[in-house]
Amino acid sequence: MDSWSYGVEVKEKTHGFDRCRERSSEVKKIIEAKHLFKLYRVGDSIVRALNGVNFSIYEGEFCAIVGTSGSGKSTLLNMLAGLEKPTKGEVIINGVHMEKLNEDGLVKFRRENVGFIFQSFHLIGTMNAVENVALPLSFRGVPKSKRMKIANEMLDLVNLKKHKKHLPNQMSGGQQQRVGVARALVVDPKIIFADEPTGNLDSHTSEEVMRLMQKVVKEQKKTLVMVTHDNHLAEYADRVFHIIDGEIVKIVDNREQGKEESEESGKERKQ
Amino acid sequence: MSLIDLLRMSSGNLKRRKLRTFLTVLGVVIGTASIVVMISLGLGMQKSMYKQVEESGGITNIDVTGKNNGGGGVIVSSDMMHQDQESEKYITDEAIKELSKIEHVKMASPVLSMSAMILKGNYEGYIDLRGMRPEALEEQNIPLIEGSRLPETKTSNLELIIGNLIPEMLYEKNTGKGYWETGKLPEIDYMKDSLFLILDSDAYLASKQNGTSSLEQSLGKNEGQGGNQASAKAPKKYVVHASGMVKGDLNTYNSHSYYVYCDLDTLIASLKKEYGTKPIPGQPTTKSGKPYKEFVYSSACVQVDDIDYVEEVSAKIREMGYTANSNAEYLKSMQSQFAIIQAVLGGIGAVSLLVAAIGIANTMMMSIYERTKEIGVIKVLGCSLKNIKQMFLIEAGFIGLLGGVIGNILSMLLSFGINTIAGSMGSAMGFEGDISYIPIWLILASLGFAILVGMAAGYFPALRAMRLSPLAAIRNE
Repeated sequence: MDSWSYGVEVKEKTHGFDRCRERSSEVKKIIEAKHLFKLYRVGDSIVRALNGVNFSIYEGEFCAIVGTSGSGKSTLLNMLAGLEKPTKGEVIINGVHMEKLNEDGLVKFRRENVGFIFQSFHLIGTMNAVENVALPLSFRGVPKSKRMKIANEMLDLVNLKKHKKHLPNQMSGGQQQRVGVARALVVDPKIIFADEPTGNLDSHTSEEVMRLMQKVVKEQKKTLVMVTHDNHLAEYADRVFHIIDGEIVKIVDNREQGKEESEESGKERKQ
Repeated sequence: MSLIDLLRMSSGNLKRRKLRTFLTVLGVVIGTASIVVMISLGLGMQKSMYKQVEESGGITNIDVTGKNNGGGGVIVSSDMMHQDQESEKYITDEAIKELSKIEHVKMASPVLSMSAMILKGNYEGYIDLRGMRPEALEEQNIPLIEGSRLPETKTSNLELIIGNLIPEMLYEKNTGKGYWETGKLPEIDYMKDSLFLILDSDAYLASKQNGTSSLEQSLGKNEGQGGNQASAKAPKKYVVHASGMVKGDLNTYNSHSYYVYCDLDTLIASLKKEYGTKPIPGQPTTKSGKPYKEFVYSSACVQVDDIDYVEEVSAKIREMGYTANSNAEYLKSMQSQFAIIQAVLGGIGAVSLLVAAIGIANTMMMSIYERTKEIGVIKVLGCSLKNIKQMFLIEAGFIGLLGGVIGNILSMLLSFGINTIAGSMGSAMGFEGDISYIPIWLILASLGFAILVGMAAGYFPALRAMRLSPLAAIRNE
């Protein structure tokens, strides 16, 4: 695919990462969480948001983390994306230990490896659709003409040809989220994190966006990690992690039709 | 992130909040304008002062005086400094030679100042006569009216350059009333009419006291004979012509206005002829009352090739035992005074810029609170911390720049206004030159300062933006 070729150029000075990538591509294990703990102090008591989580996500997978609110699913996602530090445990993404990076390193890592889709879209209100999509590329120092071209292609990909020049407040929620999807894809990330991507959409639009995400992820061979409280939406995922009270209680593999595989938390899935 | 993208984002953010940006910029405008206008007033003062000094014989001149020869009429034009130390030597031809040998001295020439009288018809007046060599006269840059020329040297007749305020000095012989009492100027065309010059004014006064009738008699005789020696008592009256006049009317003053210049050698020749073996007044005498062999000048005018060496040369001259005064040294002492004045004026202006800086900090703080979410999002999307900081610093710097530019335009308008008003008022008061002067460096410096203040004010807000947790920013409410 031609439009992705720039990705190689902007991988500036990441030989360390590249080496890791090679190794991980043999194992194809892109995200690994080991004994993750996150404790919050609320007043005098301590809340365990994550209580010893172990799991792996493989390259090209579409995973859903499902749980009720307060189950720790958002905390888990934040930790995987390097927005929050674990109290204890390891997060290894693409061979890099996230818990060991400082804030600058995390930002750099996100810039180069991660795409984000937010629940409330979080588009920049003063920028039109193309500019919003092109924004993450500007952080990488891609020249304007080039990033506009790529952003245009991305918007074509998410079927928003007609709304390229529209500002966020001139678009419906579904359209905005499609811009959000395009923005996540534009940097050619290895992994895309989605935090309740359909939380602010009606059920019909939700289906649309989910199908779009599913399709794009398949075509582009991206790893997608989605957090949701909706069991129904989780069905779009290849694998579903059920999380309750900071522990993964069940992992469902939708690809193995009819045959449900479940595991206790703390054990790793063997391949 | 490339610089152009940073600039684009920052300016975009400012455009988004036009009114707030305008108000913040307005603060900087007022601050910058007050600093620039205040300093421009100080600079204007300094400049007009420089101009004045320049007119009074240039800034590379050193006035050298020797041992006080006790005579009247020794007038030093700039006797503000270094008068405390008594010099030991007279200014003689030898001294002039010595002076001209000093390094960086372009020219050293003697000056003889003395008091004299001029007579014309019914009027008479005391003048300060300054005899100078032609090359020194040229260096004085005396502004002359049209048709003037410098006095010729080595002639038997004295030629004068008359200061433009000399007419004020004449008074009526009988009544003793001058211009200040009568308000009328004697009708004399100095350029065409011939005047009488009396070098020995003491003798003239003495003869006048002896009897006005005999004087008038001799006067009439003298007029007929054209300057021959009349009586033993009355001093010689020279018929002199003006070769030039100092430019300007009675309302303009410069350092030449009250002087009458003539050629030095001609003056000395006349003096020697007049007094013969008697000591010339103003010349030092030995204990027995005899004059020295050498002629003693009242001062020497030393030209230095560059203003930077003036101090050095002055020091050397003082070492040699003379008293030296220079405008450059005077200027230097003035400079530090002006620096203080400017600092005070600029400080007053700076207060308003400080207030503007607080305004900028406030605006930036508001803007960061408003955009907490946006900052979080771009952080999550991979905008580096450095870029976020830069973005806000540039935004604050933009406010400073904008305020600086508009402030400078405003202060130029103000300066123009001040000068126009002061110009119309000043010409009536005999004051010339601009009160307010804005040089290019002041514009650039104030621009830079405004940007700096903006950035300094935006620094802590920018740090705050940088440290915002992306989590708090993107949390769904």
